Amino acid sequence: MELLESELLRRALAEVVALGIVCGPLGVWILHLRHTYAAESLAHAMLPGLVLAALAGLPLVLGAAGGIVAAALLVALAARDRRIGSELAVAVTVGALFGLGAALALAPDTPARLSELLFGDPLGATDGDLLVAAGLGLVVLLALGLGGRALRVTAFDPGSARSLGVSPARTSAGLLVLLGVAIVASVQGLGNLLVLALLVAPAAAALRASDRLVVQLRLAAVLGAVSGVAGMALSYYADVAAGPSVALVACALAVAGSLPGRRRAVGVRRGPIEGLAGGR
Amino acid sequence: MSLVEARDLATGYDGLRAALRGVTFTVQEGQAIAVLGPNGGGKTTLLRVLLGELAVLAGTCTVAGRAAYVAQSGRARLDFPVSALDVVLMGAYARTSPWRRLGRAERARATAMLDRVGLAGRAGERFGTLSGGQRQRVLIARALLQDAPLLLLDEPFTGVDRASEAELLAILDELRAEGRGLLVSTHDIEHARRWDRVLCLNGVQIAFGPPGEALTPQILHATYGEELVTLGEETVAVHAHHHD
Amino acid sequence: MDALVDPFSAPYMQRALLAVVLLAVAGGLFGAWIALRRLAFFTHAVGTATFPGLVVAGPAGIAAPVAALGAAALYTAGLARLLRDGRLASDAATGLMLVAALAIGSILAGDVFESGAEVDRLLFGTLLGLSDGDLWLAGAVAALAVGCTAVLGRTWLATGFDPGAARSLGVPAALGDWLLLAMLALAVVAALPCVGALLVSTLLVVPSATARLLAGSMRGLLAGGVALALAEGVGGLLAADELNLPPGPAIAVLGGAVFGLAALARRLR
Repeated sequence: MELLESELLRRALAEVVALGIVCGPLGVWILHLRHTYAAESLAHAMLPGLVLAALAGLPLVLGAAGGIVAAALLVALAARDRRIGSELAVAVTVGALFGLGAALALAPDTPARLSELLFGDPLGATDGDLLVAAGLGLVVLLALGLGGRALRVTAFDPGSARSLGVSPARTSAGLLVLLGVAIVASVQGLGNLLVLALLVAPAAAALRASDRLVVQLRLAAVLGAVSGVAGMALSYYADVAAGPSVALVACALAVAGSLPGRRRAVGVRRGPIEGLAGGR
Repeated sequence: MSLVEARDLATGYDGLRAALRGVTFTVQEGQAIAVLGPNGGGKTTLLRVLLGELAVLAGTCTVAGRAAYVAQSGRARLDFPVSALDVVLMGAYARTSPWRRLGRAERARATAMLDRVGLAGRAGERFGTLSGGQRQRVLIARALLQDAPLLLLDEPFTGVDRASEAELLAILDELRAEGRGLLVSTHDIEHARRWDRVLCLNGVQIAFGPPGEALTPQILHATYGEELVTLGEETVAVHAHHHD
Repeated sequence: MDALVDPFSAPYMQRALLAVVLLAVAGGLFGAWIALRRLAFFTHAVGTATFPGLVVAGPAGIAAPVAALGAAALYTAGLARLLRDGRLASDAATGLMLVAALAIGSILAGDVFESGAEVDRLLFGTLLGLSDGDLWLAGAVAALAVGCTAVLGRTWLATGFDPGAARSLGVPAALGDWLLLAMLALAVVAALPCVGALLVSTLLVVPSATARLLAGSMRGLLAGGVALALAEGVGGLLAADELNLPPGPAIAVLGGAVFGLAALARRLR
C-alpha cells in the first residue's frame, strides 16, 4: 500500500484512525443525550483560542483547550436567563466567538492560516501531535467506560436517575467536557469545522444499524476508523485535501446507511418546525 | 342535534395499529360528558381524533362544526411574550382575515370572556406568570371567544388548586346551560358523577352511559385496574399519576 | 458628526450601508420568529449549507444567489429524507448535513476550483463588490419580512405558542410553517454577500436574541430586533471598514458584546 510508505502519511493515517476510534463512541453518547448542537458550537467557538495560539506560536492544543473552556463558560452564563433557551445562548456566544476568531485571523497583519484551522491539516501533524491525540483519546475512552452507567441512565431513564444515584445534569456536563477534550485532540487532524463529522457521522450510522447500545458503541468506533482510512485513501489517490476527505467519507457512510429506510407511518400530523426545531 | 357521533371508532398514532378501538358514543347540545381512563388509555387520543389530528382507522366519527380545544395549560409555551388577553384573542383568529388587525370589537369581546372566567383584572399580565388554574381559565376564555358549539377539554383540572377548581366547574355548568356540548377528560370520578354521561376508556371503550349506570365498581375496575382506590364498598378515588 | 458621515461618502460604503439596513429589517423581523420557534440552529445550518453552492457559482457561471438557493434546497431535501424514518434525531441529522456541506465546499474550493482567497469572502462576507442584484434581493427580502409578519405573524405566534391547539384555532399551521422555513432560506441567501455563509446568525439571530432579553411583548420583540440589528449592522460596517475586516466577523463581535451588556443589565436590575 503506497499510503503506508511515507512517514508523513503513516502519521496522518494513525492520527485520523485514532480520532475515529475515539470520536465514534463519544458521538454515540452525544446523539443519545442530544447534544449535537452543543458539539458543533463548541467546535466553532474555540476558533479565537486556536488563532491566538497560532499567532503566538503555541501548540494548537493549548489554544483549543483555552478556547473551549472560555466558550463553555460563556454559553453557561448566557443560558442562565430564562427567556433565552440554550439554543439561543449557544447561537449568540458561538457567533461572537467565531467572529472574533475570524477577525483575528483575517486582520491584514496576521499570517493567513485560517483555512487549516478551519478545515484541518492531518499531513501537518508532528509526532507530538500524534502522541497528544492518542493520549487525550485514551482519556476520553477511559472516562466513557467509567461513566457508562451514568450515561446510560441519563440517556434512557432520567426519571429514575436520582434513585439510582446519578445526576443527569452532572453527567451531561461531564460528557460536554469529554467532548471538549476530543475536539481539542481532533483539531489538528480535522480542524475546527469538520471535527463534527467524526463525532456525528459514524455514531449516526451505528444508531441506525443496531438497537443495542454495546453494538452501537463498537460499531461507531469501527466506522470512525474506517472513515479515517478511506478518507486518507481518497485524499491520496484523488489528490484532494485530507481533512475534508475524511469528513466527507464519514458523512457518506452515514447517509448511505440512512437511505434505505422504510418510511415511518405518519403519526400525529405535526408541523415541519416541531420536527426541525432544535435545543430545549 | 348531535354535536359528535362516533360509531365503532378506531384510531392510532402510526396509521397501522389502533391505540383506541370500539368507541361508540354521542354528544348532544347541552351535555357534559366525562371521559375517564388511565394514563395511556386513550383519553387524549380520542380528543385528537375528534380534532382531526389523527386518522380514523375504522368506524366513523362525525363532528358537527369546529370544536374548541382546551389543552393542558402546561403544554403551551410559557415563555412567549404574550399577555392573557393576547392568548384569548387567538380565539378570534379563525374568523378574521389574516391581514386585518383585531379591532376594538374583538378586544372588547375578549375582555368580556376574561371577565367571565374571573380574570379581567389580569388581562395585561404575561401568560407564563399566571398560576396553573388561572392559565387553564385563560385557555377556556379563548375557547369561549371561538364561540364553538363543542368544547373539548383535556384534563382541565390537573394541577389546579381547589378554589380554581370550583370556579372551573361553575363555568362548565354555565356552558352546559347555554346549550354547548362538553367533552371533558378527567381523573376525578366525583366530577363524572355530576355530569350527563360518562365514557370509560382503556384502549377500548368499556362503557358509555349515565353516571348511575357507568360508574359501577366492575366498570371502574375494568377501566382503571390497579389505579383504583376503594374504601369498603365505595370507590373513592383514582390514583392519578402526574404527567411530566 | 463628520467622523460618522465621512466613511459613508465612498460609493462602496453606501451600497454596503443600504444592504445592511435592508438586511437588518429582515433580520430583526424574521429573527423574532427564529428565536421563538427555536430555529437558530436551522438558520445557521442553512447558511453553512450554501457554501458549496457559492463555490460552484462563479466557475459554473450561475448567479450566486441562485446557486446558494439551490444548495439550500438540496440541503433541506436531504435533511427531510434523513428525518423521514425517525431513526435520527433532528439535531443529529442537521449536524450531519451541515458538516457534509462544509466538507464538500472545502474540497471544491481547495482542489477542484482552487478558489483561493475567494473562500474568505464566501465564508465571512465583504464590504466591496456588492452587486445591484444583491441589493435588490435584500430589498425584496425586507419587503417579504414586513408583509409576512403582517399577514402570517398571528399564525406563527399561535402555532408556536400551542401547537396542539393550532388546528382547533383554525390557523393554517402547516402552511404557515412551511412558508416560514422558505422565508428563512431566502433571508439567509440574501444575507450571504454581506456577512458570509458562516455568520448569517449575526443579523438573523443575535439581535433578536438580545431583544428577547429586553422585550415583554411581541411588538417589542419585533421592533427591538430591528433596532438592534440596524445598530449592530451599521456599527459593524464602520468597524469593518476601519479595521479592514470583512463585515461578518465585525458585526458578530459587536452583536455578542451588546448581548452581553443587555444580559448584564437585566441581572443588575
